[in-house]
Amino acid sequence: MSEIITRELSVGYDNKSIIEMINLEIKAGKIVVLIGPNGAGKSTILKTVAGLLEPVAGKVFVADKELTKLSPNARAQSIASMMTGRFATEYLTVAEVVAGGRYPYTGLMGKLSDEDRKIIDEALETVGALEQRDKDFARLSDGQKQRVLLARAIAQKPDFMILDEPTSFLDIGYKLSFIDTLRSLAKENNIGILMSLHELEMAYRVADMVVCINKQGTIDRIGTAKEVFNNQYIESLFDVKPGMLKGSYRFADTNNPAAQIRAKLANPKAHFIMVQGTMSSAGKSLVVAGLCRIFKQDGYRVAPFKSQNMALNSFITEDGLEMGRAQVMQAEAAGVKPSVYMNPILLKPTSDSGSQIIVNGKVRGNMKARDYFEYKTELVPDILAAVEELQKQADIIVIEGAGSPAEINLKSNDIVNMGMAAMVDAPVLLVGDIDRGGVFAQLLGTIELLDEEERSRVKGLIVNKFRGDKTILDPGIDMLEERSGIPVAGVLPYMRLQLEDEDSLSEKFDRRSDAAIKVGVIRLPHIANFTDFDVFEQLEEIGIHYISHIKDIESMDLVIIPGSKNTIADMIWLKESGLESAIKKYSAQGRPVIGICGGYQMLGEKISDPLGVENGGEVVGLGLLPVETVLTGEKHRSQVSGRFVKPTGILAQMAGLAYEGYEIHMGETRCIDSALEAFTDSGSGYCRANVWGSYVHGLFDSEEVIKKLARILAQQKGIDIKLDHVMDYRSRKEQEYDELAATMREYMDMDMIYDFIGVKNDKAGTV
Amino acid sequence: MKKRSTLVYLILVILIIILLLANLMTGSSDISVSLLTDIVLSHSRQDALGVIIWDIRIPRLIEAAFLGGALALSGYLLQSFFANPIAGPYVLGISSGAKLLVAILMVFSYKFFFSMSSLMMVIASFVGSCIAALLVIIVAKKVRNMAVLIVCGVMIGYVCSAATELIVAFADDSNIVNLHNWSMGSFGAASWSNVKIIIPVVVIGMLASFVLSKGISVYMFGEAYASSVGMNIKLFRLMLILVSSLLSAIVTAFAGPISFVGIAVPHLIRSVTKTSDVKTMIGASFLGGAAACLLCDLLARCMFAPMELSVSTITAVFGAPIVIVMLLKRKRDQ
Repeated sequence: MSEIITRELSVGYDNKSIIEMINLEIKAGKIVVLIGPNGAGKSTILKTVAGLLEPVAGKVFVADKELTKLSPNARAQSIASMMTGRFATEYLTVAEVVAGGRYPYTGLMGKLSDEDRKIIDEALETVGALEQRDKDFARLSDGQKQRVLLARAIAQKPDFMILDEPTSFLDIGYKLSFIDTLRSLAKENNIGILMSLHELEMAYRVADMVVCINKQGTIDRIGTAKEVFNNQYIESLFDVKPGMLKGSYRFADTNNPAAQIRAKLANPKAHFIMVQGTMSSAGKSLVVAGLCRIFKQDGYRVAPFKSQNMALNSFITEDGLEMGRAQVMQAEAAGVKPSVYMNPILLKPTSDSGSQIIVNGKVRGNMKARDYFEYKTELVPDILAAVEELQKQADIIVIEGAGSPAEINLKSNDIVNMGMAAMVDAPVLLVGDIDRGGVFAQLLGTIELLDEEERSRVKGLIVNKFRGDKTILDPGIDMLEERSGIPVAGVLPYMRLQLEDEDSLSEKFDRRSDAAIKVGVIRLPHIANFTDFDVFEQLEEIGIHYISHIKDIESMDLVIIPGSKNTIADMIWLKESGLESAIKKYSAQGRPVIGICGGYQMLGEKISDPLGVENGGEVVGLGLLPVETVLTGEKHRSQVSGRFVKPTGILAQMAGLAYEGYEIHMGETRCIDSALEAFTDSGSGYCRANVWGSYVHGLFDSEEVIKKLARILAQQKGIDIKLDHVMDYRSRKEQEYDELAATMREYMDMDMIYDFIGVKNDKAGTV
Repeated sequence: MKKRSTLVYLILVILIIILLLANLMTGSSDISVSLLTDIVLSHSRQDALGVIIWDIRIPRLIEAAFLGGALALSGYLLQSFFANPIAGPYVLGISSGAKLLVAILMVFSYKFFFSMSSLMMVIASFVGSCIAALLVIIVAKKVRNMAVLIVCGVMIGYVCSAATELIVAFADDSNIVNLHNWSMGSFGAASWSNVKIIIPVVVIGMLASFVLSKGISVYMFGEAYASSVGMNIKLFRLMLILVSSLLSAIVTAFAGPISFVGIAVPHLIRSVTKTSDVKTMIGASFLGGAAACLLCDLLARCMFAPMELSVSTITAVFGAPIVIVMLLKRKRDQ
């Protein structure tokens, strides 16, 4: 799509810049209005963008071509400008003035063709000045003159118009009709307009985007008129005494931070690339992780980003803040510390239609899906603030979308797919999953359902999870490119990686393992933090089984009750599904049961919710451990490290081993039997015989712990296991990221992707 | 072209024909129409009259017509360039610059005994014009003010004239007279050999002006505007100044500096055609300049015959009031 983009542009005269680091964009059909006090430098920006003034530094791109490299004629066919200054003419008719607009199209002698004349008349008609065609221009009123000059610009048949205070000398009637003409030009002729205005009412009426330049010559607000115009800011911008504006304009009283943040974002701009999928589990998370690793390998500072995660699994950062695990995994791939800014919004489903909303690591409350749908646009400033934080530490930000961008019922308030891409103007890669079939329909269908602006953001397609003979696929790829008009940036093979999965939809629940030792994880409806068990997957001898039927329990060598986002509801579910008695029976045989977090709470005598943190009420637990839990409103979260204190039963050998993990729960669990032994440090877990409970997530992550546990289970079963290829979880992951990056490099056109991002990759990390 | 412009063209052509005839017939010996037709048709140079007509009057009126046209056109181009209605080769000092270089060349040619060809004169004049024009442009860049520009042009003119006087003072007696006459402005030195150079140069200048007309039509609204509709400003400015310098140079080389035609004629033409259409203006200014110079030359020769006045004297008498009226009218309009 055609657009004007300024990149780190500095404008001024005689090599002295007045305004620096201007990053603006003017899209086809949109109106961008510059406002600011006299002398702020608005005209200088306009002249530079119009190509009438050389940029002091930086670049202006017009439909992807650099402005200064265009011939004057080519430039004039694309950009028409209307600068201030009176047009003194003598004996020139209106039509002759408008004919000036045909300059870039006529031949050497400037002879007008019939076509040119027609265009001139049409232009005059558009502005409503056709009947003045043969009048002397000099004798028109200012309002009429300005209309004719606009017709002149229209006759230039430009893609963009740049106007400097076009309404300044007009009376209110002319002002309004002028502004409305511009509006319809933008809409109907798809012309992108950049202009300066002094009249705030007019800006309010016409602007799709308002850019404010203050007295110091800095762009300090970019946003919709609604976001920008509030009494307090306008007063400070124009040096008006506080309170004076009140009553003269109907502007908001409160300051909207979105516009401020957007202005900061534009300066200096990181480079973005966004990965969206045609459906959940199309492989977005891994593609993002792979890109993060590739950019890291190429020397860039990278950060992953996903505006909103809907997941039960959360991670606790060093600051004790909560974020989605997928971004933690991607941060690892990027070689940076995870931060909540990588995932400003985390939704944890608590019931079928409600979720807990966590914004920038802090709980904002519980909301029903419908309420959240209305509320979420208010989170735009938080999202932008997070992106701004990330920009400080990253050259390239790789953004992950969520689900599908083509959910046409949800598109209007989107903040996570195309809405997100628009917020930061990111190019988009669309990933389709060939393994599940219908990849062409997925990709083409998704593109079909996007509107034109969104479609233009999709720069490349990726076919993911391909297995088989690529030559058979190739003709399809050609047709896909032909039909979509978007290049296929890569066909990625099906990769078997053990990196953490994003959410509960993951297919691993259905996986069956034939490993000798079977560990059963109860598949709670509100299962949370199930990445606790990924560590088991590095041991060939141990298979993880997710259990939702009583018949499956019997064959397990260890049963684990995982964390839950809704402990009471899940406890009730255990009872209803019959799993409660199955677990009790299993435990009564002296077989090992471990409860983690919510699972630990369920092992106790009862769980009560006097404050209604979940659904209120009280529920009797499994009664395997003499502990009681009271849910409190306060969320407890921290990273912890400690040692196993005095594990009982078969785990006795684990005493003294160190663990590292984190706690996150909204309840206090009290031991009601002083004879109970401590399982983990600081009262975070207790045990009795072969029942152990703890609040610590990631308890088994360390190599020492998992090996010990595996040996004990093997011993119990009376089998031998080698455990010699067990690698430290961390270094194993590192290796996997490298593998992922290598595979993606092989099957993807990375040059093309660097091109989308606007980075010239020289493997030296220069942007 | 509009009806009015066509009418003006027609009148100008008729006027020129009348003036041509009048110029042919009047002079030291008045010639009747019938005799004139005989001489012209027979191409006879047998008698004195034939020589007067063929070798003096005809070249002289061709020169007056073409150089007058060139002068007016040059004035029009300069007015467009500086967006200044009182610009012209004479007031901007461009003619004086040309004069200075021609004077230098003349003096040198006598000193070093090489004969001066017409072509060398033209080249010297052209170089002088360009230098002066360049100086004016530099000033115009610095100060965007009509009056200051004109004052600067006049000053440059004075400096060049003073330098010319200086050179004349040190020149040999024999060529002082020659130089003096020339520097006053006169079509008296007309000859067929000069005409052979004048016609092609003026025609080239004229064609070039037509080519520039597209640019002028937008340049008159200012550089920013011209640039915004896609003009290559630098190239256009260079072309325009070269063409106008060439046109004024050819005039200065053969007739010396002639005042006011460059300013007054385009203005008169504009006010009678009531158009700013560039092509109309180029053609009409040229014809108007031709008519003006034919008339002024006629008057210069006849008014105090047998004494011949310098053309500049006449052009100033007619031109200066026109310029003054024009300035007053502009003042009123504002």
